[in-house]
Amino acid sequence: MRSRIVVVLGLLCAGMFGLQSAPVRAQSTAAAAAASYTPAQLVELLKKVDERQKNQGDWRSETYIEQKEKGKVAVVYEALVYRRSADQRFIILFTKPKASAGQGYLRVDKNLWFYDPAVGKWERRTERERIGGTNSRRSDFDESRLAEEYTPELLGEEKLGAYNAVVLNLKGKPGIDLAFPVIKLWLDKDTSNVLKRQEFALSGRLLRTSYYPKWKKIFSESKGSDIWYPQEIRFYDEVEKENSTLILIRSVDLRALEPNLFTKAWLESKSR
Amino acid sequence: MSALLADVRIAFMNLVEHGRRSSFLGAAIAAVTALFVLLSALSSGIRHTLVDTATTLTTGHLNVGGFFKVTSGTAGPLVTDYQKVEDLVRREVPELAFSVHRGRGWGKLVADEGSAQAGISGIDIQVEPEFRKVLDVFAGNIDELAQPNTLLIFEQQAKKLNLKVGDAVTISAATGRGVANTLDTRVVAIARDVGLLSSFNVFISSDSLRQLYQLRPEVTGVIQLHLKPRYVDNLEPIAARLRQKLEAAGYRLMEPDPRAFWMKFQTVTREDWTGQKLDVTSWEDELSFMMWTFRALQALSFILMVILIGIMVAGIMNTLWIAIRERTREIGTLRAIGMQRGGVARLFLLEAVMLGVLGSIAGVLLGGLATWLLNAAKIHVPLTVQLFLMRDTLVLTLEPRTLASSVLMISFVTGAAALYPSLRAASRKPVDAMAHFG
Repeated sequence: MRSRIVVVLGLLCAGMFGLQSAPVRAQSTAAAAAASYTPAQLVELLKKVDERQKNQGDWRSETYIEQKEKGKVAVVYEALVYRRSADQRFIILFTKPKASAGQGYLRVDKNLWFYDPAVGKWERRTERERIGGTNSRRSDFDESRLAEEYTPELLGEEKLGAYNAVVLNLKGKPGIDLAFPVIKLWLDKDTSNVLKRQEFALSGRLLRTSYYPKWKKIFSESKGSDIWYPQEIRFYDEVEKENSTLILIRSVDLRALEPNLFTKAWLESKSR
Repeated sequence: MSALLADVRIAFMNLVEHGRRSSFLGAAIAAVTALFVLLSALSSGIRHTLVDTATTLTTGHLNVGGFFKVTSGTAGPLVTDYQKVEDLVRREVPELAFSVHRGRGWGKLVADEGSAQAGISGIDIQVEPEFRKVLDVFAGNIDELAQPNTLLIFEQQAKKLNLKVGDAVTISAATGRGVANTLDTRVVAIARDVGLLSSFNVFISSDSLRQLYQLRPEVTGVIQLHLKPRYVDNLEPIAARLRQKLEAAGYRLMEPDPRAFWMKFQTVTREDWTGQKLDVTSWEDELSFMMWTFRALQALSFILMVILIGIMVAGIMNTLWIAIRERTREIGTLRAIGMQRGGVARLFLLEAVMLGVLGSIAGVLLGGLATWLLNAAKIHVPLTVQLFLMRDTLVLTLEPRTLASSVLMISFVTGAAALYPSLRAASRKPVDAMAHFG
């Protein structure tokens, strides 16, 4: 346990150090790194990042979300996340705290809906919605679609704690609605797992820094090979500096889900 | 005619004759009238304050707003090609005094010591001179709002976020397509609170709002129509005509819905359409979330007045019964010397109506004086009252129409209350009346 904490803290400290010195380092290593990646290879690298996480089947996990805000008591949610790769369907069903139990998000046909059993109504929400009012977005819980949504550009290579990282700048593809138009991505050079992300506003201002200190692999029968998922994600709000969000993903189950699970009726039935 | 004048004279002399009773009853009528005038002045004052402040800060008398949906699930409070719409409005609404356009948005204000959600209005301060008249800016310079990336906030927000003029505030918001964006602004003016609206509204320049929400120059949030004063109390026919003209010009319109634009987001995002739909609303619609307090006050005033008038009617009837009992022999004598029943009834009615007119005129004068004194005292109202009053002092407004109707109504009620006792008095037989000892 202690060694895990050390690894996480080390990555966070290294990440923060990396944030400060990234431009300088990137400049020094960009030329060397650029020689080793063509644009097509960068796209392939991004596809690999997505592919490693893609299940090509169903997904169920338990998720712990902790939101800390300046001057407020930390808010903790527990939720069940269901996904289906085939039609990109998606559900987040809150189970704790009691006040939020039964609330949920349902993504069907590229529409995100929110259900609150207290009022018994469905509300259509934007795909870029902050989940449960935290600093996490729907895309943080969903399958990675970086290659589909962004065009990569190599910034260089740098050391992030114990890891050798490839640093990419991702620009949103035209015509695709994205919460963050620009992302800076640190990838583990050995595994292609995401180590760190920085998300920027249209104005160029840094909005959020995310750390992915722990990845775990699990065998997927539907895919016929291992898939990787982040067990822990830490989001740091860069506008409201003292706000942060922690996400822990646990008990991942890749067995097939009920066919009629991704429906409004199913989500409503969970709060009756 | 001369008979009527004689009756009036007799009625007046009777009132003078029974001076103590008349003055007691007249004072009661005057007190009720004065209270009625005060309540009406309070209601009018609140309404005028609401209209004046709200129509400068957040809404026109009428508004042409609406939503633009890029996809069926994403709606922005936008009017595209607003110049064409504004031209049509100017052509088709002769009641229009002037119009302005404002940007509408919602975002998070992030300061060093805190953050708060706020409605963000984009304003062109150079073309809205009335705006600075309504606001009491106690720190900074409102004219600087013409510069890009500047911010006007209210006292309450400044306290909450610990801000002063010159401090930096980042506005974080999502564009119409849901893309995160920020705008770094500088506080250039802090205004005194103007009720509920100032607790969640801030102002930036129109161009800055466009930059934040990535809007093109031909896009705005709402066209606010300010009408000539005489048309302000009759908005519905103008709104209906405007809707008709906009539809005839090919614009798609939302169903009339008497709610503020931000309360319609859920309904609009649930609907399955894309593109532009315009929405014509009145200032009362845009303030619907706070109008219930005003209506509740009006309802309470009405109930209070009904109770007071009820008490007044009972008092008049009772006093007249006593008067008739005391004057039964007098009625008998009048009947014996040839006065008809109608004449007797008319005499008592005239007494009551005369008392009503004199009492209500005195009441109007008294109410007017009390209103003037209350306004002169500049009574500071508690914060909870300020929230919907939209100012920190109590203002009562006297309307000539209300004063005239007060006199008419109270006189009529007094006359009506006297009708039955007068008819009963007239129905007595002269012999019985003359033989009465009481």
